[in-house]
Formats: sequence, C-alpha cells, structure tokens
Amino acid sequence: MKTLSVDVVVIGGGATGAGVVRDVAMRGYSAVLVDKGDLAQGTTGRYHGLLHSGGRYVVSDARSATECAEENVIVTKIHADAVEETGGLFVVGPDDDPEFSDRWAIGAAATGVPFEEISVGAALQREPRLNPRIRRAFSVNDGSVDGWQMVWGAANSAKRHGAQILTYHRVTDIFTANDQVTGVQCIDEKTGEQVRIDAGFVLNCGGPWAGKIAGMAGMGDVEVVPGRGIMVAMNHRLVNSVVNRCIPPHDGDIIVPVHTVCIIGTTDIKADDPDKLPIPREEVQQMLDAGEVLVPGFRDARAVHAWSGARPLFKDTRVQATDTRHMSRGMSLLDHGERDGLKGFISIIGGKLTTYRLMAEHVVDAMCEQLGDDRPCTTADEVVPGSESGKTYVVTHRLEAREKDRLDEQILCECELLTRKMFVDLFHDQPSANFDDLRRQLRLGMGPCQGGFCAPRATALALETGIVDAERATALLRRFLTNRWIGLWSIVYGDQARQTALDSWIFEGLLDIEHLPATAPEEVVL
Amino acid sequence: MSHEHDMLNRASLDHCVKCTICETQCPVARVTPLFPGPKFVGPQAERFRHGESVDHSLDYCSSCGICTTVCPQGVKIAELNSQARAVMKADNMPIRDRLITQTMLEGMIMSPLAPVANAALGMKPVRYAIEKVVGVHRDAPMPTAHTQTLTKWLKKHKAPASPRTRGPIVFFHGCAGGYFEVETSIKTIEVLEHIGFEVLVPNQGCCGLAMQSNGLFEQARKQVLKLCADLRSAGRDLTIVSSSGSCAGMLKHEAHEILGVDDPSLIDVGVRMREMSEFLMELADAGELPTDFREIDVTIPYHQPCQVKAQGIGMPAVHLMELIPGVKVVESGQPCCGIAGTYGLKKEKYAIAQAVGKPLFDMVKATNPKLAACDTETCRWQIHTSTGAKVVHPIAVVHAAYGLSDDLLV
Amino acid sequence: MKAVVIGAGIAGLAAAIRLNSEGVDVTLLTKGIGGLQLSQGSVDILGYAPERVERPLEALAGFAATNPGHPYAQLDADVVRRAVTWFADLLGPDLIAGDPDTNVLLPTAVGALRPTALAVPSVLAGAVKPDTRYLLIGFAQLKDFGAPLAASNLARQGIAARHEIVDFPARAGEVDSSALRYAQALDDKATRRRLAVLLRPMVRDGETVGLPAVLGVNDPGAWKEFEQLLGHPVFEIPLPPPGVPGMRLNQALTQRAKDARVRFTLGARVVGKVVDGDRLVSVALGTAGRTRDYPADAFVFAPGGFESGALELDSYLKVSETILGLPVETPEGEPTVPDYWADQPVFRSGLRVDADMRVGGFSNLYAAGGVLAGAMRWKEKSGEGIALASAMKACDAILEGQR
Repeated sequence: MKTLSVDVVVIGGGATGAGVVRDVAMRGYSAVLVDKGDLAQGTTGRYHGLLHSGGRYVVSDARSATECAEENVIVTKIHADAVEETGGLFVVGPDDDPEFSDRWAIGAAATGVPFEEISVGAALQREPRLNPRIRRAFSVNDGSVDGWQMVWGAANSAKRHGAQILTYHRVTDIFTANDQVTGVQCIDEKTGEQVRIDAGFVLNCGGPWAGKIAGMAGMGDVEVVPGRGIMVAMNHRLVNSVVNRCIPPHDGDIIVPVHTVCIIGTTDIKADDPDKLPIPREEVQQMLDAGEVLVPGFRDARAVHAWSGARPLFKDTRVQATDTRHMSRGMSLLDHGERDGLKGFISIIGGKLTTYRLMAEHVVDAMCEQLGDDRPCTTADEVVPGSESGKTYVVTHRLEAREKDRLDEQILCECELLTRKMFVDLFHDQPSANFDDLRRQLRLGMGPCQGGFCAPRATALALETGIVDAERATALLRRFLTNRWIGLWSIVYGDQARQTALDSWIFEGLLDIEHLPATAPEEVVL
Repeated sequence: MSHEHDMLNRASLDHCVKCTICETQCPVARVTPLFPGPKFVGPQAERFRHGESVDHSLDYCSSCGICTTVCPQGVKIAELNSQARAVMKADNMPIRDRLITQTMLEGMIMSPLAPVANAALGMKPVRYAIEKVVGVHRDAPMPTAHTQTLTKWLKKHKAPASPRTRGPIVFFHGCAGGYFEVETSIKTIEVLEHIGFEVLVPNQGCCGLAMQSNGLFEQARKQVLKLCADLRSAGRDLTIVSSSGSCAGMLKHEAHEILGVDDPSLIDVGVRMREMSEFLMELADAGELPTDFREIDVTIPYHQPCQVKAQGIGMPAVHLMELIPGVKVVESGQPCCGIAGTYGLKKEKYAIAQAVGKPLFDMVKATNPKLAACDTETCRWQIHTSTGAKVVHPIAVVHAAYGLSDDLLV
Repeated sequence: MKAVVIGAGIAGLAAAIRLNSEGVDVTLLTKGIGGLQLSQGSVDILGYAPERVERPLEALAGFAATNPGHPYAQLDADVVRRAVTWFADLLGPDLIAGDPDTNVLLPTAVGALRPTALAVPSVLAGAVKPDTRYLLIGFAQLKDFGAPLAASNLARQGIAARHEIVDFPARAGEVDSSALRYAQALDDKATRRRLAVLLRPMVRDGETVGLPAVLGVNDPGAWKEFEQLLGHPVFEIPLPPPGVPGMRLNQALTQRAKDARVRFTLGARVVGKVVDGDRLVSVALGTAGRTRDYPADAFVFAPGGFESGALELDSYLKVSETILGLPVETPEGEPTVPDYWADQPVFRSGLRVDADMRVGGFSNLYAAGGVLAGAMRWKEKSGEGIALASAMKACDAILEGQR
C-alpha cells in the first residue's frame, strides 16, 4: 500500500475536477486529483465541443449568458491551443417561429452577449451549405473547444503548481473522523495497488458519479440523475462556424465544427447508469432530421462516429435552490458541512464546460471560506502550458505541420495526420495508457477509417517501443476495435457502412485478427 | 459557376474509404516522394482545408486525373486537387503559368513566323533563355508551327464529289488542330468526307483547358462559353466530333466538373461531342462503317491519354485500328505520358514528367520505334520528343487504310 | 453473341475472360479498379465454418446444408473445383499455386494463422509446417508490417519465429513508403541484390525468411531470384492496402482481358437500364457528357458488395443495390449489432439468384461474386471461391444458351 498526504483531494478528472485542482494548486494548497479512468473520459469528453458565446442562454437564463460571454474570452486566452475561434450563427429555420428571434435579439443586447444580425445572403456566403431557406441570421462569438485538450491543459497547469494527477485511481472509500473528512482510499486500476491519501479536504467533482462518491462519505441521499445526450460526428466540416437554431433549446439544435469533423447534438433522456449509455438508433434518426433543417443533404453526408454523454442533474429535496452565494447557474454546490454536518467535504454537480473555470473559482472560494483562508483566485490570468503562444487552434494546423515534416516523419494515422513520433513520445510519457487514452490526446483512429489502417500500425509500433509485450499489444488492439465499435454500430450507414466493410475485410479477411491467440482478460489491465 | 460544384466535389470526399487504389495508379507519386499522392492531397487534406492554402506540395499534382478515373468509390480526387490549387494560386501565379496557357495566341503568333519560330525553338541558346526567363524547360517538347493553318487549308479545300449520304457533322479541331497539328485535322475531315459526311468547321476559339489546369478558372470559364457558342453556331442537334482528345474531354465533362460551368450550351455541346475513334467505333458497332481498308502490316504502340481515359469510353482507338487488316495494336498500359497538358513544360517539373513517361517511352521504343499512336497533341509531342518515333492520331492510320494517304510508314 | 460484364473484381474479370475465350463479344464496364487489387493474393474457398476447415471442398456440402441461404448452397464442390482450377491454369504457376482440396495456414501481418487453399506462390511458401522456423524481416520505413508483432504472436502459438528490422528505404532518403513503392524498387535486380546482401548475415541455417509482400510488382521472377540470392527459403506476407500480391493478380488478369480484346471500359458508372419483359435489353453508362447504351444478349453483374458501394445501407437503414436497382435480400432485424466480434447481419445482404446465377425476374441477367446474398466472406475466408464459382456458373448458363 502506498500512502500520500496532501491538503486537498479532488475526485474526478473532468473539466470541473481539472479546473478545481488547478485553482486549488494555484492558491498554494497541496493537492491530488484522482479519477477512476482517464482525464476527460466522462461527460467532458462526450460533449459536442461548443465554447458558448452565451447566445444559447440569452432568453432562458440571462446570468448564464453573461457568464458564458465573459468566460468565453478567458478560456480562449488561457486555453488558446484547445480553442478554435470559429464564430457562430444563430439562424431561424424555415418553419421556426420568428417571434423567438426578436426576443433573442433583445435578450442578447440585455445580457451583453456580442452579436450582429447579418443578411441571409451574407450567412450563406459564409456557410454555403446552410439551408438557403433560413429567414434570419445572427453572428455571435461561439467557438469550439477540444474538451480533452482543455482538461489536459488545466491538469498540466495544476502539476506545474505542484499538484499530482492520478488517473486510473478509483476511490473505494472516504474516511471521516469526528465529522471531519480525513482522507480517501483508492485502488490503482493498472497495477492493483492500494493507495491511501490523507487529506483534510475532499472536493467531489464526480459529475454523474458524484452521488455514488458522496455515498462513500455517508451521504446516502445525494441523488444524481444522468441526463443522457447523444452526439453524431460527421466526416468533414459541413460548416466552419458553429450553427445554432434560433429557437428555444431543442434536440439537435447545434452543429459545431471541431477539428476535422462537425458534431450535431444533442438529446436529453434520463439514464439509469452513467457507465452504460446507449446510442439508440431513433435518436440518431432525430439528429439526422435535425441536421437536415440546418444543412440540406445532411442525411447523405457521412456520419463517422457517435457517442453518448451524461449531464449530471442533481435532485435534492432537502436543500432549496436558494443558496446561490457560491453558485454558477446550472451547477449545484453542496457544502456538506452546512448541509450534513461533515466538514471538509464539498460536492459539485452540473455546470457548463464554457464556465468551468468560474465554477472552480466558486468551489475553491467556498473551500477557502470554510478553512478561513483568504487566498484569491488567479486562474483567469495565467495561460496553461501549451497555450503560451496565444495562437488559437485552426483546422489547417496538422496539414501545415505535415507539409513541413512529411519527408522526415512517418505518418501513423493518415486520416488525422498523426505522426509516428507524436504517438511514440506520448506513449513513453504515459506507458500504462491504452489506445483510447492516447486517442483522446492524439486523435488516433478518429478519422474516416476509424482505425482501419492505423490500428494495426499502432499495435506494431507499441510493441516496437518496448513498453508493452506482444500479448498486451494485441490486447490493446482488440480493446481499441471493440471500443471504436461502440460509437460506430448505430451510425453504420451510407459511406460508413462501406468503410466498415473495407475495415472488416482488413481485420478479418486479411489479418484474421479474430483468430489471434486470446488474451486472458484478468491478466491484462487495459 | 456556383459554389455548388465545389460543394459537390467536396462532398465526394465522404466516399473515400482510404483504399489506396488512387495512390497505386498515380504516375507522379510513383516517381517522386515530393508529391504526397492523390489520396493525401485530395480527400484526406481537404478535411483540413479552410481558407488559406498551407499544403503547397499539391502543386506537384499534374492534373492527369487518373486518380478520379480509377477510384471505385466516386471520389472526385483530381477535381478536389484542382480546386485547392486554384485557391493556392489565386495570389501567386507565376507569369509562366499564364503564358503557356495562351495556346491560341501562341498559334496565331507563331504561324506566320513558322520557319523562324521553329528554327529558334530548335536552338539551344534560345531555349535556355526561355527557361531562364519564363521557366519553360529547355528540353521540353514544343509544338512545331506550320505556315499553313487549318483555316487556310479549308479555304482551298474542295470536298470530294462522292455523295454525302450521311448528312452534316460538326468538326471541333481545338487550338492545336487549328495551328500546330493541322495534318490531323485535315485527315479527320477527309476521313469523315470519305465515309459520306458533310463536315462543317465553324470558326472556333480555345477550350481553356490549359488555363484550367494552371488554376486560371475565371478566364477558362469565359473561353468555354465562347467556344460552346461557336460550335453551336454550326447547327443544332448535329454530332460534334473531335480529334483532340483532351479538348473534347474538357467540353464533355471537365468544364462542368472542375470549373463548375452549368450553362445549358455546355451541356448541349457535351452531349453531342464524340471523340473521333469513339464515333467511328459506334458506326462500326452499328455496322455502318465502311471497312474497305487496305492491309497495313504494322504493330502500333498506342497510348490513350489520361484525359481520354477520364471520359469513360473504353479504348475505341484500339478496336478501331485493329479493324484494319494487318494492324496489331499494343496498348501502353501506362497512366500518363508525363506532359499532362503543360505540366511537363515547367522547368521544375520537367524531370518528374520525363520519369513519369519513361515506361511509356521504353514501351514505344521496344514495340515500334518508328510509329506510335496517341489521341492528344501535347502527348504526341511528348512521346515524339522522348522516343524519336513518329506519333500520329489513330485517325492517321484509318486515313492511310482508306487509301487517302501513303505517308504513314514513311 | 454480345455480353456485358459489370464489375472488374475477380468475378467480373473471370467472367469476361471466360466468355471472351468462347467467342463472345464482351464489354466490361467498371467505375474503377476492382477489389482484386486490394486482395491478399489468395484464393480462399472456405477457411472457417466457423471452426477452422482443413479440407475445403469436402467441407462444402456440410457447410451448405447448415447455411441454406449461402451462395455455396447453389455452388457445389465440383463447380468450385472447376472454377478454381480454370483460374489457376489461366494465370499459371508463376501467379497461383496450391491445392483446392487442402487448406494451408499462412502467417498474417499480425501473426495470426490464416487458412486458405491457393495463393500467389511466394505467399503460399509461408505455409506453416511442423518444423518451420521463421525469421521475419521488417523495414524501418514500412509502417504496415510490424515484424516483431507478427513474430511474437506466432511464437505465442508455439511456432518458432523471430524478427529483424532493417534500415532499407524504398527510395533514397524516404522515411515513409508503401508496400508498392518497395515492390517497385525491388523490381530492380540491383536493389534486390543489395537487400539480399544486407539480410544474408542475419539468417541462421534452417530458417525460412518472411518478408512483407514487396518482392516486385511487375517482375514475376523476382521472388525466386531473391530466394537464390539469399540462399534460404523466402516467402511473403500480404499487407493491408496497397497490398502487392492482389495487385499482381489484378494486373495480370486485367492484362489478359485487354489482350483478348475484351472491351474494357474504365472510369464510368452504370446509371440506368432498359428492360423488356424478362430481358435486360441494355444498360446505360454515364460516360463523360452523356449516357451511352450498351445492349447485349447476356449480362453478368459482378459489382461487389458493400465495400464497393454496389450495395448500400442508407440512413433510414434500407438496403439497396445502387447500380441496377435490383431487389436485395437482407436479413430480418437489426443491420448491425453492438458486439464488434459478432457477425454484422447487414453484410449477408445481397441478390438472390437461381441455380444458374440468374437474378430473379430476368432471363439474361446473372450475378456473381460479392453482390450475392448469404455469405460472410471475410469471416469465412470464402470470397474468391464464391466469386470464381458463381462467375463460372453464370458463364456456363450463358454459353449453354449460345449453343
């Protein structure tokens, strides 16, 4: 058993946890972040990548709109390498109620969300594939953000301020003594080693899993209901700006260009278990119908992958939503000292990716208040590692980089223009990573062929690095293919069915992967 | 001339399953790693493009179009590349790329001065100077100018007295057929007249192909529309035949698919356009082609130009020439001769173009070092310059077989 | 007699060559280069049913009995044998070797053991024998073959195998080359010699040397000559596309068709048809600028399956045949299932034909190859057997009608 001793344990490696641990560390506390899986593997990574301008909330939630507008500017600055300044449009569809757009424009003016009405012609000039029958268009400052990269940026910043980041560390118990939290027990899922972390404060940033985590500290009544939403990524950018339908929030009302794809989302269905989120075919159909309203021909375009994420929704009958001192809208902050008489334990549930930094600020303010410390937040002022140049992401980046190094570097994943060196360097850095962990940081296998060509290459290369043996390399390959299929089987139609046929021919017909010697699953932790 | 075609071509990238068939057939990628290959610069890179051009290596694409032709999935690879290159060149077009696209202008200027021009172009110092100043490689094939243009010949030409049982037909000769390769045009007209057509030759401009392949889309579009009007002036619903394979291809589909010209006049001309061998084989298949050929005992290496391959008409020239007793045709099996319009003229591309053409040149030399056949002018110049063989349009073989000329084997 | 063949994969090319050799005037229409170009260069008959099959032709009757909707239910062992033998004879021993009665196990690029009956001889030479000791060679500049992975996975199955990686660029200074670039380089004798000199000191006595399949694409003598240069037995392991053994077969077969003056029409898609009663009168080809009709007495439809786009699952999950609009038989229920390793039912979709491979409702339209319903070609390792036998049977019926 390994033991650690720190001021604060942050549970959960999504945007909230990463933002919180960064803030905690920057205020001078020693801190550890633990997550049962990889960083941003939960809700944060299963997101459509929208960096809100605030436009989405100008009618329904004025304060959120203003917060988004302000945080958008901050996030763009501190996470430049994760943000693309795509700009966005709010468009009134042919059959949409135009009255709403009047209210929208009034709301935007009132909340300070920058916008400009542009002619339909100008909107079509900017986005030629947009439905020519739209009736109005407003230009806003929406952007897109790579949730994984943002979280890694925040985590690396926290590390720079002395925090430790322990991924694949599942919390199994939270210790208390005399109504005070004293630490947590974890298991290192990769090695099986038990890890005890002594700490006087635990911040529960477990998102949809937060209720379960609170239960470990004896709070059996923190009920978190996962609200499941699906997203479908299309094979190329049908639009280069974020396109929102100017209607009250609705399923499939946003298309976001992120990296080489564009993503339509989302739905909102109550789910039972955040670890089992289906991608039902009827919801895929709903997305395609919704896409067709904004971009005619959407159905004929190629879907490349789909996923399901869970918004954590907090149901608490005991506490009214009256205590807004530390709250950002859409977020519930449960100070278990006030609520349940357990000191040193705060749960944070909900929130928005765009305002993740502000939420973290509120949470850490609340912690400082409980501890009686006066330490100001500085997270808005310091850029995270990797964003020092201040240059925001543009989709041409990798093409430009390969134009420069193509004759000197092997390309591992051609669809996403990922080099052998990028893969090898990261694998050396994170030797216990599986291919999905690497994928989230490198985009391995995320392009049209979904690993058809690059997965066997990555497997061979993984072995050649000497980091893993053939049994593990083969197991990594099998797991990667199995996992890719989770987001494929329900959107396999059209060109992606054609691709699946070719990929199956390669894996089954040529390589006969299904008859490789089996790996005993208990022997290999992936 | 809308975004629509750009969008359709772009949308076709969704069909790419990365099967690599285009890469295996690309003649440029075969000879140089400087060109990343059609899949890379086409459907792959296109997902990363937005606004500014960052991947200048796509300029190594010769626009031969083989990638699109062989793609089983219907990806408009070459078209995507052409459009991306037009964006890339919008701001920094070399003066050379504007000059060599002025095919008609070159013809009009050179014809009256033919002996002088030919002598000059044959002189090393002159070519060296041209290479220095405008970037046209000193050893690249150059057309031979003729003092007799087709227009001059037509003025003196008297159609044969034999009855014109098949009615009128329009002949599209292209710039080269009007100025540099007048002989091919004359033979085409004589064959058509021999088998009973009345051949109408309206005054006609340039198809704009060279401009298109150098990314000068706006100028090319103007040329296309003017040419369509010229050709339609000869008569409605008449079949139009061409002995210039690449120019025919331009009007059949490239102007539409690459330049995005949607004009009804282009569609009308495209539907009526026939490549000469295609036209004669259609007659043959219908049992309407006179086959009173004399025997010619010869083995002819034949190369179908990439721009004729792209038309999806098979290889009618092979079957047509083999209707002639004694003629054996050996098809090159090569994708491209290297010249690809104007690509092989450029000093920085010349070596690549020669390497592309080498298997074809070797095949010609091994099969018949004296005589070869090919449907497009620039390709014939390229093959001739690199092999020394006399390279004719297949119609020249038919012309000889009908007894209309005796110079084929001389 | 005139016939039109649609598709230039193994089924289409075989049908075109076969009909042409019997005096039929054949036009072959294909949008692009056919799937044989991408193939692993073997002639699979039946590899898994679902357990590993050792005697494929013997196994066919039993397999057909348990899979009544499978193409093999209409293609018995005799026609499969006749078709495969005809094909092997057509291409000759330089390009195809093996025995239709017996499967051998060939190491794949990840080190699995794949059963097949016939293959390009340099690939077939890798067949596992009781005392084989493999040395697998990887090239640092060829990312599609991981020699350590293949060797280690073979070793995990109790087969003696080790690897070496050599620094041998396909072209001077090139760091990232496809198998085809290597094959083009190794068409050159001097390059082969250079490679043999590099490898010779690495090989131990009694070892069989496995290279990725790159030993020449145009020179059929390259493999044998290289074996002599090295002084040890050599075999090739096929790689993912662009795979060279498939390319060699495709090149040879396409050349045979062209040389025989099959009218080979590449680069345009069939976009329409004219039907009169139960006869297909003509198909329309979307050539540049216009559609052109191709009338014929008989038609062989061999466009492939989902991989080529001939079969399509649309966004409403309806399966259709995209070229002639023929009715498709598709399994009931979900087209795809969440378990990656299970059969994906949609891929069993295809055309239903009678015992002569005639498409329902037509007297002169025959189907062959991947477009047929009922097979899981990649899982079963049955693609070429089905393609050749169905093409053969369709040709039999057409030629019978001619007489």
